[in-house]
Amino acid sequence: MRVGSKAPERSPSAAGLSRRLAWSGALVAAIGLIFLFPLGFLLWETVALGDDLWGTLLSRRAMVPLAKSLLIATTTAVACAVLGTTLAVLVARTNLPGRRVLRVVLALPLAIPSFVGATALLAAFGPGALITALPRPEGFWGALVVLTLLSYPYVYLPVLSRLRSTAPSLEEAARQLGSTPRRTLLRIVMPQLRSAIAAGTLLVLLYGLSDFGAVSLMRYDTITRAIFSSRLFDRATSLTLGLLLAVLALVVVAAERAIVSRRREISTVGRRQPVYGLGRLRGPAAVLVVVVLGAALVTPIAVFVVWILRGSATIGSEFAGFGDGLGFLVSPVVNSILASVAAGIGAAAIVLPVALAEVRRRTLLADASAVAVTSVFALPGLVVALAVVFWAIQAPAPLAGLYQSFPLLILGYVLHFGAQSLRSSQAAIAAIPEQIDAAARTLGVGPRRRLLELDLPLMAPGLIAGAGLVMLSTLKELPATLLLAPIGFQTLATKTWGAAEDGFYAEVGATALVLVALSALLTWLLVLRPELSR
Amino acid sequence: MSAYLQAMSISKTFDDVVAVNDVSLMVDEGKSLVLLGPSGCGKTTLLRIIAGLELPDDGRVVVARDVLTGPDLHVPPELRRIGMVFQDWALFPHMDVARNVAFGLTKDEVKSGRVDEALGMVGLAGYGNRYPDELSGGQAQRVALARALAPRPRVMLFDEPFSNLDSELRAQVRIEVSTLLREVGMTSIYVTHDQEEAFLLGDAVAVMRDGRLLQNGTPSEIYSNPATPWVATFVGEANLVVGEAHNGLIATALGALPLSTLVRGTCKAVVRPEHLMVEDGSAGTITAVDFFGHDSSYRVAVDDATYLVRVAAAPRFRPGDKVSISYAGPEVVAFPETAA
Repeated sequence: MRVGSKAPERSPSAAGLSRRLAWSGALVAAIGLIFLFPLGFLLWETVALGDDLWGTLLSRRAMVPLAKSLLIATTTAVACAVLGTTLAVLVARTNLPGRRVLRVVLALPLAIPSFVGATALLAAFGPGALITALPRPEGFWGALVVLTLLSYPYVYLPVLSRLRSTAPSLEEAARQLGSTPRRTLLRIVMPQLRSAIAAGTLLVLLYGLSDFGAVSLMRYDTITRAIFSSRLFDRATSLTLGLLLAVLALVVVAAERAIVSRRREISTVGRRQPVYGLGRLRGPAAVLVVVVLGAALVTPIAVFVVWILRGSATIGSEFAGFGDGLGFLVSPVVNSILASVAAGIGAAAIVLPVALAEVRRRTLLADASAVAVTSVFALPGLVVALAVVFWAIQAPAPLAGLYQSFPLLILGYVLHFGAQSLRSSQAAIAAIPEQIDAAARTLGVGPRRRLLELDLPLMAPGLIAGAGLVMLSTLKELPATLLLAPIGFQTLATKTWGAAEDGFYAEVGATALVLVALSALLTWLLVLRPELSR
Repeated sequence: MSAYLQAMSISKTFDDVVAVNDVSLMVDEGKSLVLLGPSGCGKTTLLRIIAGLELPDDGRVVVARDVLTGPDLHVPPELRRIGMVFQDWALFPHMDVARNVAFGLTKDEVKSGRVDEALGMVGLAGYGNRYPDELSGGQAQRVALARALAPRPRVMLFDEPFSNLDSELRAQVRIEVSTLLREVGMTSIYVTHDQEEAFLLGDAVAVMRDGRLLQNGTPSEIYSNPATPWVATFVGEANLVVGEAHNGLIATALGALPLSTLVRGTCKAVVRPEHLMVEDGSAGTITAVDFFGHDSSYRVAVDDATYLVRVAAAPRFRPGDKVSISYAGPEVVAFPETAA
């Protein structure tokens, strides 16, 4: 440590790293500003609308979509709270048959993007679908079913994790004080789940507000749909609604943060938690699980497989089906992987200085930059993309070429998903014991070798996991891709979306199945395996 | 008359590990028993079997003539009227102190002021609307005690209840707890791995190792008359001195010591360090001196053996000093040389 430096650094390695990476306050500030840009730009442009802002905000074309967004988001959140909590309690604490396997399987709907779920429903029912006798699923109820079946894991996972970490002694103490198993479950176990349920439910609320794919395919005109459809010809409405949605999302995230930070719970690891007998409810509980899995997982995949088989049967024919075989899959697959990998690496690289500064230096500036990065993640992808697009359209000459370019698309992803990489990187850096650096110094090892041989190898798994999470999100992202992708640049998401809108269900089956497979693989590796092995 | 609490022929196996191996214990009404042993000896499992939280493979648990665990019989924990204080105290984090204490009470008992009464007993009157995360360790531990005592259980169980407290607080709280329990005449069982704590809390102490009960007796019996060499060293410092036993004496390097046990041939005697004395002499050499304030200890090498000696004074000798060593204590216990 330097003699005479006023504020002692938490980790001496910070000084060494700073020389190697040349990350300084300015760099961290610049990164923070870049992430502040979408919301700032949106705010700036919207305020510049002047009187138009209030006129638009109070008009029917804003109020009706707002009401619909709030309605679908809150009903979905409540439905997911009930379903997610019930399922978590069933597989964690009861004698439900097959609960060990079900614990994992029940989290898998997480891998299916909402527009893919909606697509499956459309490909299954209605004119031109598998079962033509039933009407095309539409509107509020269609959207509610799709969003609930695919979003309940956001409640299920935190509640499951909480159920597995409660102190068994609490329940044993309750029993010793004369409490029956049922009363123990209701009065001791359930209250400990409160904050997990609340936090998960608010996450679902956020996804409900942000969702574009499912509500659009179900033709339920929420704010996201209004923003999307007005973006080209009614800039004022699009901007105003975008800002409104951004504010709503930030309020929800702030509420979620407040709940998580106010927990009054104790956790332990070690002894196994008590298991409660279901008695006569065992049968109905098993039926519930089968119905949920059947609707959320089995049905979509079965529908896609059936359509692929139908499509294969018509190879060569001019009408429905695959025309020239499965060759149409190649470019969306390549594009999806290309975009995901670029976004993952880009995000990991750009947030690393912020993560290092926040964990090792704990400066106010680093904290502020981290908040900026995190806040963009809270915004709906559509809103982030909207800001980026409007900026690119009116950007000065050299930058104007960015409009509808690959780099701009990647920038959109990095801005939106950078927080996922930030969180992983922070954890990876914090996990390196400070003594390691001290030990290396006492052995006479210089900053360069400490970075290359100690810090980076030790951080690598966390950095890769963070990049992987960004890849997963990019793969599943629909609205930002629709707005930002260069013309003709189709990903698995946009191809599935386009084919679903046009009713080309054989193509939908193929692209959706590949998308779900890739997404399931990454979800398993990056989300479920770490979460469930804790 | 049979004992108030009986745990008879208890056995319990987890997977392939025998946690409790045919252990029988009895506690008279109003008395306390301490289960003492190293971690993994099965003491906690035995306690949880008495509580009804684990089912034994074999054995019976009887309290006040009620069979609680027996062949084809298992009274669930909530019907046993056995109170328990857990190692982590297990206070319900979402309830304030008063609701924690009221949890095991009927509505009528709550109305009659039992909550305040119980909190008063542990010296926490007025703490009712605090939450567990607002309590110090000592307070949390007393709330746990009040909560367990409030429903007037027939027996109280304590699973390492003081191990989460720092040493100064631990000494104070355990005296308060044992005084309170004796005052209300509570039949109690404690589990601990701390020998000093066991002797302090128990009317009787049961020493366990590897699932077996090695010895059950009063603290002084166990200290002065250990059942095995292992018990002798587990409950205190001991020199195991080899010698030839004959006619009630054992001939050792320390001289002929009087025996309390009937043994013959080559044996090892348990010689407590505080029963040895050192004086100026030539037979041995001081190899180490430790000063603890209230007493001191010497390591003395005599021939090729080393003895631990404890004296109630500041050290008089220094390493290298020549001394003689002698025995000045009661009759000693000796075991055949091969005993463990």
